[in-house]
Amino acid sequence: MNLPLPSIFVLLIFPGGLFLIASGLIYQWADRKLVARFQNRIGPRFIQPLADTLKLLAKEEITPVGVHKGLFFALPVIALAAALTAGLYVPLFGFQPAASFRGDLIIALYALSVLTLAMGLAGANTTSRFSLVGATRTLTQLFSYEAPFLLSLLGPAIAAGTWQISEIHTYAHQNLWLMIAQPIGFVVAMIGLMGKLELPPFDAPEAETEIVAGAMTEYSGRGFALFRLGKDVELVIGLTLVSAFYLGGLANPLEFMLKTLALLLVLALLQTAFARLRIDQTVGLWWRAGALLAVVQLIAIVLGRNLGSIF
Amino acid sequence: MTADTNKFVIPIGPQHPALKEPANFEFWVDGEIVTGASVRLGYVHRGIEKGAEVRTWTQNLYLMERICGICSHVHATAYTLGVEKLAGVEVPPRANAIRQLMAELERIHSHMLWLGVAAHEGGFDTLFMYSWRDRETVMDLLEKISGNKVHYSANLLGGVKFDITPELATEVHKGLDFLEERNRFYLKVVTTDETFIGRTRDIGTMTTEKAEFLGAIGPTARASGVARDIRVDAPYLTYEQFPVKVMTHTSGDLHGRFIVRIHETFESIRVIREILDHMPQGDLTTRVPRRIPAGEAVSRVEAPRGELLYFIASNGSEKPERVKVRTPSLCNWSTVLSLAIGLKLADMPMLLSGIDPCFSCNDRSISLKRGQQGAQVWSWEKLRQYGIEYYR
Repeated sequence: MNLPLPSIFVLLIFPGGLFLIASGLIYQWADRKLVARFQNRIGPRFIQPLADTLKLLAKEEITPVGVHKGLFFALPVIALAAALTAGLYVPLFGFQPAASFRGDLIIALYALSVLTLAMGLAGANTTSRFSLVGATRTLTQLFSYEAPFLLSLLGPAIAAGTWQISEIHTYAHQNLWLMIAQPIGFVVAMIGLMGKLELPPFDAPEAETEIVAGAMTEYSGRGFALFRLGKDVELVIGLTLVSAFYLGGLANPLEFMLKTLALLLVLALLQTAFARLRIDQTVGLWWRAGALLAVVQLIAIVLGRNLGSIF
Repeated sequence: MTADTNKFVIPIGPQHPALKEPANFEFWVDGEIVTGASVRLGYVHRGIEKGAEVRTWTQNLYLMERICGICSHVHATAYTLGVEKLAGVEVPPRANAIRQLMAELERIHSHMLWLGVAAHEGGFDTLFMYSWRDRETVMDLLEKISGNKVHYSANLLGGVKFDITPELATEVHKGLDFLEERNRFYLKVVTTDETFIGRTRDIGTMTTEKAEFLGAIGPTARASGVARDIRVDAPYLTYEQFPVKVMTHTSGDLHGRFIVRIHETFESIRVIREILDHMPQGDLTTRVPRRIPAGEAVSRVEAPRGELLYFIASNGSEKPERVKVRTPSLCNWSTVLSLAIGLKLADMPMLLSGIDPCFSCNDRSISLKRGQQGAQVWSWEKLRQYGIEYYR
């Protein structure tokens, strides 16, 4: 579906910008609520994520001693901006991406990585020991999941023969669901998404019983709110990407909702089923199992394509 | 150990999400590897031992119950056993059986609480939520028997306050059936969940020799194969009539501590059923004099966390001369500090909670004044005033 809207509107209000942030909050609520119900808790009210955000935005921002002030204020903004930028290239809510060019898959993925990078830098910027350990873990985790996650999204790209998100999306829409055609890639993409979002059991970077809030420990008020919003937006974009590629595309807003919420349900189940992995276990898992699986999938696709053209 | 300024120190506590009570741990890390550890206790010293000296024997019963919010009954039991020994009073067998029943119910609730806390420290919140939900069953049973969920206050000097009626016994049986089934499930989770095993197996392994050397007690020691349990070694109450088996495990790691505690829960369930089915008949109380004859007594009981020791001295008056409490948590700290070295920082919260620490029970204060001759005795009033001034 194409939107006949002026680009400034697309950028700031719908489907990017405000609307994306609002849906990020809704997805955060859905995630928290689902996890809570799986854990036999009541969970937050619908308005809770918005209330949290407004409260944080209104709070006094405490600048800790020993930080680089410019970086301290700039990093949350950069993080949120990067996440919103990535939103421009993905088929949000079943509409065609607002911007599209050859190779935008790489741009979108790296815009999302900038968010994680900003969080790591924010932790390393402070002198708090919890933040420093958290930053180390955030960046270690970035280096472990990033390659397999990228490889798992390259699978559909190679199958479609293009690196442009909108074209892969069309390809996925017209063919058999890639979740069935490339099951290994789908599993790696799902788990990669959990690593990217630092959801349990991959939440070692913000393990509260060890390092309080990890890289975010020194952030209060506005900075923390912006980072949280960035994370929420990342959740929506990640779900959109995976369901657009692996679940047969997103033709309209209703399909978008059904497919992403189904994915979220699986994510919430996975979050509740395991104990937290140590950071060395996370890295080991990704490089021993994740990367290997993704490579196997990639080889299978390449072989399949080449053999297919021979016969 | 001396502090090295070049070390990167991660402080845990006195305020930290991993700790439910204040204490300060410092872990020196090299990357994620812990190279040294130290502990500083004493944030919640309450002066209870001194307070006991200005209260009567009966009043102290309630004070001792408040040493610990989780094992309140076992503290009161240790105290009453000591006082009864001094007074030379024989408690009716039915009262002793009810005391044992309450103690075992308390063990179930303590071990299930620990299971949840330890799982939470390892980031396994689902197990935490489930085990605490099911723990409510045993709390409700305690409430039905005594009217209270936490400080059941079942003990009197010379007996117990509550009887177990046949109706109550049926309810307890029903609750135990549910708890047994749930604990079977938890045992299955603990022994089969891959991520959980990855976080507990071969973490903080303590050999039997090391456990003996460090003086570990309770489930922590039993997980290392030290078959030591006061309920068996020096039976008190009716533990001779209704014996329990000592549960040990040979692995000595965190995983072994989980297994030992869950097996102990099963053993408690079994022994409670036995007590309910063969409850001795008779009175609930006997008379204890207001003034306790002069003398000294030591009483030992097995708290959920290990051996609990009371030393009570009487000078023949209405008030004790001295009450000394040694709680089990204090004996196990050395195991944490020596096992921590070489492990990952991420293992620390689980290692800490692995001994089931209770901070407020083990804080004592000692004041050393060099160069001053002779002992100095503070009165309760002076200690109280000191505490008020200190925090002003």
